[in-house]
Amino acid sequence: MSTLRLLFLAVLAAVLPVSAQVTADRIRHADREPQNWLTYAGNYQSHRHSALTQINRQNVAGLKTAWVYQIRQPGIIETSPLVADGIMYLTEPPSTVTAIDVRSGRAIWSYTPTIPRDIIIIGSPQVNRGVALLDGLVYVGTVSGHLIALDAVNGTVRWDVTVEDNRKAYYLTLAPLALDGKIIVGVSGAEAGIRGFVDAYDAKTGRRLWRTFSVPGPGEPGNETWGGDSWKTGGGSTWLTGSYDPELNLLYWTTGNPGPDWNGDVRPGDNLYTCSVLALDPATGKLKWHFQFTPHDTHDWDATETVVLFDATINGRPRKLLTQTNRNAFYYVLDRVTGEFLSATQYAKQTWAQGIDAKGRPILVPGQDPTSDGKLAYPDVQGASNWPSPSYSPQTGLFYQAAREMGTIYFKGEAEYVPGRAFMGGGARILTGDDSYGAIRALEATTGKLKWEHKLLSAGWTSLLSTAGGLVFGGTEEGNFLALDAETGKLLWDTQLGGAVRGIPISFAVDGKQYVAISAGYALFVFGL
Amino acid sequence: MTPAIFPSRRAWRGLGLLLAACTLAVRLPAASPAPSADVEAGRKLFRDLCSNCHGHEGAGAMAPSLQRPRLTYAPDEATLRVVIADGIGGRGMPRVRRWSEKELRELVAYVQWLGAVPATPLPGDPAKGREVFNRVGCATCHVVNGQGGTLGPELTAIGRMRGPDYLREAIVNPGATLPKGTLPVPGRGYDEYLPVVAVTRAGKEIKGVRLNEDLMTIQIRDEQSQFHSLRKSELTRLDKLTGTSLMPNLSAQLAPGELDHLIAYLASLQGQP
Ligand code: HEC
Ligand code: HEC
Repeated sequence: MSTLRLLFLAVLAAVLPVSAQVTADRIRHADREPQNWLTYAGNYQSHRHSALTQINRQNVAGLKTAWVYQIRQPGIIETSPLVADGIMYLTEPPSTVTAIDVRSGRAIWSYTPTIPRDIIIIGSPQVNRGVALLDGLVYVGTVSGHLIALDAVNGTVRWDVTVEDNRKAYYLTLAPLALDGKIIVGVSGAEAGIRGFVDAYDAKTGRRLWRTFSVPGPGEPGNETWGGDSWKTGGGSTWLTGSYDPELNLLYWTTGNPGPDWNGDVRPGDNLYTCSVLALDPATGKLKWHFQFTPHDTHDWDATETVVLFDATINGRPRKLLTQTNRNAFYYVLDRVTGEFLSATQYAKQTWAQGIDAKGRPILVPGQDPTSDGKLAYPDVQGASNWPSPSYSPQTGLFYQAAREMGTIYFKGEAEYVPGRAFMGGGARILTGDDSYGAIRALEATTGKLKWEHKLLSAGWTSLLSTAGGLVFGGTEEGNFLALDAETGKLLWDTQLGGAVRGIPISFAVDGKQYVAISAGYALFVFGL
Repeated sequence: MTPAIFPSRRAWRGLGLLLAACTLAVRLPAASPAPSADVEAGRKLFRDLCSNCHGHEGAGAMAPSLQRPRLTYAPDEATLRVVIADGIGGRGMPRVRRWSEKELRELVAYVQWLGAVPATPLPGDPAKGREVFNRVGCATCHVVNGQGGTLGPELTAIGRMRGPDYLREAIVNPGATLPKGTLPVPGRGYDEYLPVVAVTRAGKEIKGVRLNEDLMTIQIRDEQSQFHSLRKSELTRLDKLTGTSLMPNLSAQLAPGELDHLIAYLASLQGQP
């Protein structure tokens, strides 16, 4: 603790010039400058953990609002702000970027791309989850399918490329990931029969460097897991930001559901590489290994949830691990060097699998597939976990996640592919109401064993932030924002923000003061002592 | 059992029974136009995905009857497509799911066909029902056209929003038909008028209906219409009496035939034009 406090002071002393640029090296060593939040999940390992300790267990009860920023056009805020050297970069729905002075809360520039009124967005609201920063540029993906680079000084467009045609229902909601000289993005659209991919772009020019499809074409390994021509509309969106291991130089990207969602009859086979994690060589996009969580998914259980990287000893052997609370209600631990499956532990209610076998393949409960008159199954269609960020604390060794405990009635229907139209083959009705609930859970990161839980009134969309001050921050669908004790889950502070908490929390510091930022309803709230 | 707006697990089981019961009693008047193939396909989709709210053959349940020649939000084909494709924001009509072009065409055809089905006349007499309503004291808890008590929901337009089977259930089995919230936040299907009992640390018991709730607090209106704002950490007990209602079952006070009159009266309450 005291060493971290020293670190905090040391970092503040090393005052950076305001014009300092965010380099790949700075992102790589993001843990050295906890006053900033330089990449979507805080670091390449996606810990969403802050090493700042000024706000801590002892004093968090005194947290107060420092400032509030109101977005200018109503919409759902599902974003993680970034903070670099006193400036916050916030995205507002659908694809606006605003730079804000973190001392005053005043906007200093804002950029709104031209979004045609008839864009095709099937499968999610028009949201954006944040920007990437690299070498003086700010990168944003848009709901119209573009990737745009803005000048960090004033928000002017440096380049603007079409990732893929929105008339075919491709669109972007994720925060891009900045690596050395490259910007990596994925796409949304698997509810409309797209063929998913991961792209890398030259950070300076916007030239595409490589594209790796999540659904292999004819002649490529994995194509045999698709009956007939079904691979062509196979889905496998890549719609959430991946993680990166700079030492192994491996990029981990996750993939979503096969298309059509609920009618699996038309795509017999395992449907690789949907509902999977892919380990890619960032130089070429070449696939190094893959692991499929839910083969031949028929419940829309994307595997896009954030994958968290950390090292630990398992059975006496030091391991480089990759873990995920999958939408299918299991917590997976993989070896991230080889993709070897190590364990899976159920963390939320599920009715579809008897268990996971030694190779990581689910042992199915018969009769859980959607039917024309509806089949009740758990977890719900939005999963026990979804896009909201989990958090990993190296201090407690715990993996924090807000589980969704809800059932869904899954319907199988017809699937007819028309470009740019919904291609889902059925439907799903969630069982909301007083029976469903949510829970912030702390799992032992190496085993998935439940350490504590803090129940929530409803299954919501809260991301979590852990801090070295011994805290976990999260929110509720009803607008509560909470600070829990990271060791015990005990409530230490709460406030009511007046709108569902869908934003992704971060922590940063300026002028020697630590802040926590969270969006709820139509506003971003910043708290300090 | 009448299924609720966002079916609970219990209601879902009930729905199965309801559907099974209804297939025995398909009432399609001889005068209705012969259904086309699209109408037949639309009927099947509707049965699976809409009838839990709109009732069997769209006769109305928790949600309005669609056996009306002119719909409020969907007076023509273009608006009907929009309503089915997108729902009606803030009004409890969800975007049920995404439709293929073919499915949307079939649903539109079926709902249009329903509009031509002559509404089945109700057995009761609204004028007599109104007398019953006043005699048994329904008005002590319900406002109709500006008159009445505030413990229960206003009924001025209840006949436009709910179908006759739902109204019957609301009277004979009040706990099964709690009205549902329609707002998106919190709006995750919370029952409105859910009876709750809270006991404070000081030992004070508060019984009433839940107005709102979040993780830390609950807002209650008691039987005397007094408002209470409570922090959960200061309560020793908080019971949610799911499946019950503060509305008494008054059907024992009704003579034979009076229930039908009462329903006919409620169905006639169409609100201000
Ligand atoms: C969760 C319950 C629910 C479901 C499921 C539902 N509806 Fe509705 N619907 C409603 C409610 C409530 C309204 C009335 C809104 C109002 O009048 O304020 C409504 C209104 C409508 C209207 C407009 C009626 C008017 O008078 O303008 C149409 C048309 C309609 N629904 C069609 C459908 C179809 C078709 C489906 C199935 C695909 C469906 N609904 C499924 C609850 C539901
Ligand atoms: C003691 C108060 C009380 C009395 C008396 C009472 N009600 Fe109610 N009523 C309620 C409450 C509270 C609700 C809401 C909970 C529920 O739906 O059961 C309600 C709900 C209803 C509903 C459903 C409304 C909706 O939108 O779902 C109808 C219909 C209704 N009452 C009709 C009647 C009739 C008819 C009578 C007389 C026979 C009556 N009530 C007597 C309190 C009362």
